[in-house]
Amino acid sequence: MTVSMLNILQSAVGVPAVPMDQVVVATDLRWAGIILLLPLLSLLLCGLCAAMRVKSKLPAWCTVACLAGSFVLSVLLYVNYNPPGEVIPLLSWMNLSWGDGALNSFSANFALYIDSLSLLWIMFVTGLGTLIAYYASEYMEPDLGKGYARFFAGVSVFLFAMLALVLSDNLVMLYLGWEGVGFASYWLIGYYYTRPAAVAAAKKAFIVNRIGDLGLALAVYLIWTTFGTVQYDELMTVLESHSWRAEFEGWTISAIPFLLMLAAFGKSAQLPLYVWLPDAMEGPTPVSALIHAATMVTAGIYLVARTYPLFLLEPVSLHVVAWVGGLTALLAATIGMAQYDIKRIMAYSTVSQLGYMFLGLGVLTTYGAAYHVFTHAFFKAVLFLTCGAIMHGFAGQLDLRKLSGLRHMKGWRITSWTMLIGCLCLAGFPLTSGYFSKDAILAEAFVTQGPGFEILGWIAILTAGLTAYYTFRVWFRVCAGPVSYEPGDELHDDHGDHGHGDFHPHAPRFAINSVLVVIAVGALVAATPYFMSNKADANIAGGWVADMVHDSTARAGLPGLAESQHPHSEEVSHGAHEHPTLFGMDPHKAMYFVSGAVGLIGILLAAYLHLWKRKSADALRGWLLARGWIAWLPRAMERKWYVDELYHALVRAPLWILGHICYAFDRFIIDAVIVDGTARVPRLIARWLQPLQSGAVQSHAVVMIGGVGIIVLLLALCLRFEWLGVVL
Amino acid sequence: MLGWLLILLPLLTAVIIMASPARFSRLVAMLGSLATLGIAMVAAIDFDGWGTGRWGLESSITFLPELGVTLEIGADSVSMLLMLLTALLMPLAVLGSWTAVVDRTREYFGWLMVLASAMTGVFLARDLLLFYICFEFTLIPMFFLIAIYGSTNRAFASVKFFIYTFLGSLLALVGFLYVAWSLASHQGEWSFSIPDLVHFAQTGLTSSEQVWVLAALMAGFAVKIPLFPVHTWLPLAHTEAPTAGSVLLAGVLLKLGTYGLYRFALPMVPEAVVEFAPVLAILAIVGILYGALICWVQTDVKKLVAYSSVSHLGFCVLGLLALNPLGLQGSVLYMINHGLSTGALFFLIGMMYERYHTRDMNVIGGLASKMPIWSCFMVFFVLASVGLPGLNGFVSEFLCLIGTFAAGDTGAYPGVLGPWFAAFAAIGMILAAMYLLIMVGKVVFGSLREPAGVHAHDVLPADLNAREIVVLAPLAIGCVVLGIQPDFVMHAMEGSIAETLAMYPDLVPESMHAMGIKGVTP
Amino acid sequence: MTMVATAMAGGSLAQYLIISGVLMSIGLAGFLTRRNLIVMFLCTELMFQGVVIAMVAFSRWHWEVSGQVFVIFILTVAAAEAALALALVVLLYRRRDTLDAEAWTELRE
Repeated sequence: MTVSMLNILQSAVGVPAVPMDQVVVATDLRWAGIILLLPLLSLLLCGLCAAMRVKSKLPAWCTVACLAGSFVLSVLLYVNYNPPGEVIPLLSWMNLSWGDGALNSFSANFALYIDSLSLLWIMFVTGLGTLIAYYASEYMEPDLGKGYARFFAGVSVFLFAMLALVLSDNLVMLYLGWEGVGFASYWLIGYYYTRPAAVAAAKKAFIVNRIGDLGLALAVYLIWTTFGTVQYDELMTVLESHSWRAEFEGWTISAIPFLLMLAAFGKSAQLPLYVWLPDAMEGPTPVSALIHAATMVTAGIYLVARTYPLFLLEPVSLHVVAWVGGLTALLAATIGMAQYDIKRIMAYSTVSQLGYMFLGLGVLTTYGAAYHVFTHAFFKAVLFLTCGAIMHGFAGQLDLRKLSGLRHMKGWRITSWTMLIGCLCLAGFPLTSGYFSKDAILAEAFVTQGPGFEILGWIAILTAGLTAYYTFRVWFRVCAGPVSYEPGDELHDDHGDHGHGDFHPHAPRFAINSVLVVIAVGALVAATPYFMSNKADANIAGGWVADMVHDSTARAGLPGLAESQHPHSEEVSHGAHEHPTLFGMDPHKAMYFVSGAVGLIGILLAAYLHLWKRKSADALRGWLLARGWIAWLPRAMERKWYVDELYHALVRAPLWILGHICYAFDRFIIDAVIVDGTARVPRLIARWLQPLQSGAVQSHAVVMIGGVGIIVLLLALCLRFEWLGVVL
Repeated sequence: MLGWLLILLPLLTAVIIMASPARFSRLVAMLGSLATLGIAMVAAIDFDGWGTGRWGLESSITFLPELGVTLEIGADSVSMLLMLLTALLMPLAVLGSWTAVVDRTREYFGWLMVLASAMTGVFLARDLLLFYICFEFTLIPMFFLIAIYGSTNRAFASVKFFIYTFLGSLLALVGFLYVAWSLASHQGEWSFSIPDLVHFAQTGLTSSEQVWVLAALMAGFAVKIPLFPVHTWLPLAHTEAPTAGSVLLAGVLLKLGTYGLYRFALPMVPEAVVEFAPVLAILAIVGILYGALICWVQTDVKKLVAYSSVSHLGFCVLGLLALNPLGLQGSVLYMINHGLSTGALFFLIGMMYERYHTRDMNVIGGLASKMPIWSCFMVFFVLASVGLPGLNGFVSEFLCLIGTFAAGDTGAYPGVLGPWFAAFAAIGMILAAMYLLIMVGKVVFGSLREPAGVHAHDVLPADLNAREIVVLAPLAIGCVVLGIQPDFVMHAMEGSIAETLAMYPDLVPESMHAMGIKGVTP
Repeated sequence: MTMVATAMAGGSLAQYLIISGVLMSIGLAGFLTRRNLIVMFLCTELMFQGVVIAMVAFSRWHWEVSGQVFVIFILTVAAAEAALALALVVLLYRRRDTLDAEAWTELRE
């Protein structure tokens, strides 16, 4: 099993992903730096607005304009760049050198590395960023003049950091973006800073991300000490210039991918570092859509795809990626099934879908992962934004038991139908974008050989069913059925004093509706790349997205690549000849039916329990809870498998106690006993001699005479025994 | 001559302050420190040692020729940078205590100026006696600043601060005198010139002598840095000191220890340093983690920042012990960065204290809604301190750690540390984020909590006034500039660092070979 | 040795030293036993004179005039010091209305 995997890996590494000597330093593309500068400009403008106490929507328009500019420039860059990759130097940052040769210089600059992978990312990041900022201009209205500018400043910081992360040409600048997005999410999650829950969630997000950042930092150190560079182009050149594993031996090669993995799992909310993402829903909803669904969380996928050749050097690391991804997908889906807060359900579904993407990376389909990132960005943004619209209109109500039949309410039709589109994609309904991208991953789990990958494939299929169920549980509960609703607890001032009876939900207006429609259409259209023919290599399936992956470092994970590169080589084939089959068919074909069927079953189950017989869902829950042997299951699912409690017990509490122990040790042992104790020694001696100083003149005289007497005695003794000679 | 002016001008200012009426003292202090800053800038522009190992500002006065004592000053680029940091912090310290000190202002500003003079003297001294005199003389003004203008427990804090650091420095003096005595008995005449002593000690001392000299020097410098476990004077002194005192204590006085390591320990006793670097590095790492954990359970904001200094300076020491240019440049940069960001944090806490008369996180909180400008600065400097990339803290922390990480590999500068040292130290990054964000979460965010019975300050507005913004703005600008363009500082110190490390490339492989560490080709 | 000794007319060195010792002892005993500041002061003068006698005797014995010079010098200083000391005693008396030495024990820690 592993042997064949190794062969695949070897072939993938042996074939240079991108011939790096062709990477050009493109000074004529310097204008691409403006893509990065525009969000900074917007940050500056928002800052000015905040300082001048602007009460209008000006900060929103500044942000939207700047981000739209970035998007247009990104598209222009896509049109103008020359494959396979280009480096655009912008500004020097850290350059040290102290001699010639390896390990005698360190340099990390602000420079852009443009290849199709980064282009794919920046296009959907800036595009969705613009739309979501426009959406937020309406959503954040209640905060006009208060936190409005602060919010858009945060969005600008986020976009800047995300673009820096994606466009960086070295790992240190990537680290800047990496921590930058973490900081931006801290800023935005903690937007409602007077709410303790929001502050705690923001803190948690930053700190859990920092654990991942530690992995990235150590990986950067290791990469530099191993390869002598942190720049992608040089790194790839070094990797290609040595034959497979000949030069690079030892623990460093194995450790690098695991450290990178830690970083990716932190940012992309995988086991065991996913706990921050559901809590991050404390932020305003556009933030959830922007950061926690569409863009930031995919940074981990990007990192792994970007450093894919390093992962290929250590196959075990990819197995771990696959398994962690698959298990996270299942675990998060089970939690999502049992939640009542629709935004949290979406959060868990994000964790679950990210698990799919990692599974894809692990089973050697970077294409599938990238495609799923791309489609997920659209449909998850739609879902979050519709949740936001509902939350906005119903005064913060997010409980799916307290909302029903939105579809029939005036002004909520667009929300309902766009949400349905999002749900269909997420559930993998046949012929939607999510269906194709998910299939690309699922099928590959059966194609690629690895430890238990087949089991993993079945786990993923099961998860797909669960996904369809919990997704439509939301839609059937909230949008279908009879009309009924209760407002949430965030009544705005204008109807704060009326009470529940007079509550009128205010339906979304143009900005929100238009954005919902545009992104929903985008989610549907995201299926088309699958059918586009391939420009670069006819043997490679997957259309436009595969093209985008083809010209990058993640190239090794393209289905069909090995055959096309090595048509005559038997053993390096991607498994075409010893292709495992699924129900006697090619897994790719079989998966169309299997996943479609599983998705439909999930939807039907949801329809039965949450649309036709809503009572039965509660009855089922009651039945499960009543049976002692199975009651733990729903309970654990509702309590999120006790992971937060586990963290508290295993990490936070011990460290907190350790902190107290250290502080006590510091005060009572080091300071009181050792330091002050030492200082007390002279004082003790003084105490002992103190009676000699009674203060009375006569006693002083007696002591003095005694002293003289002792000296005389000593002298006499010295003379008597001739000690004096010795002393002198 | 400029060098002497830099040392004597603050002293002269102090004399003028004492001679003029109390209501002018802060003005005179401001003018004096601004003039010093101006001269420092002129000196920096005039200085031609940037990037090379050359010395500038050289000048000497023969004092006791038969004992070899010539009061000699001079600066290489590292001294120059630290001198500039001192000169920059002084006017800010004066401006920061503009309204905070009401009683005995003459002595206050007088002592502040004396302190400036002594600190500048330490960095500019090129003669051991002058160095030592200035090094010790920093204690006296600081003693009075804490003892007279401190908080409730000030008497004890000042005495402890004085005796603790003084005792350490006396041991360092023993080490210095031993080197000087060896030199004298070797050459037949006394010399206290630092380059002479360093040059002699590198080769003239036997291995065991080097170890003893290192132990003596560490006794002095480790207390000053402060390295675990001799750090306990610091939290006490910081909590009791007045704001400007804390700023200068964290900003400059702690750097006297690391500067001492850089200037004396590293070039003077290289063999001993190579032998004991792992031990000292372990102490530094313990300090990083231990300090961070203690920060976590603090309720006094100022004490938290004080303990965070213990943690942060650990990185600085680790960078020095990496014994390669990455680590050393990172470390020197760290000294400057720590001065900027932690100095600013102490200013901010002082501004809060001036308004609320408390620093207890349980009593005060949610200030963002009442003091937005203050909160912005607070979050900014906390992030600089946490090491957010793009701000200054990141660059120096990153370089210190990568230097430590690489200090076990072959290359031009092999070292004796390695990945494990860096990995454990890097955990400090997570802990730093934890304690500082917890602090921010309590003090800045959340719902507004104010101590009972608080009323508006008679002079100060609720949020920062223009003067206070002027105090913080230069530090913030420094943080951003050093975060985005650290290159100019790093290139500036390149030559001096190479000179300090000159002995090591040959020394380390030998000793590693002797110790039987694999992976290093002899 | 004998020549020098005979040169001391009217008695041996030992006799002078005995007188000096007796004066010293009386002064010391008085200083230690009496509480009155003036008496204590007089006792110190007594001790002082004991020392002076010893000095003159040695000077004569060694046939060295510088000892005598010292004595004259010391006597002058002693006179000045006596004036000062008595003035101090008067001041102390004014503070506490007593001449008891026990009244002044502030030097104790």
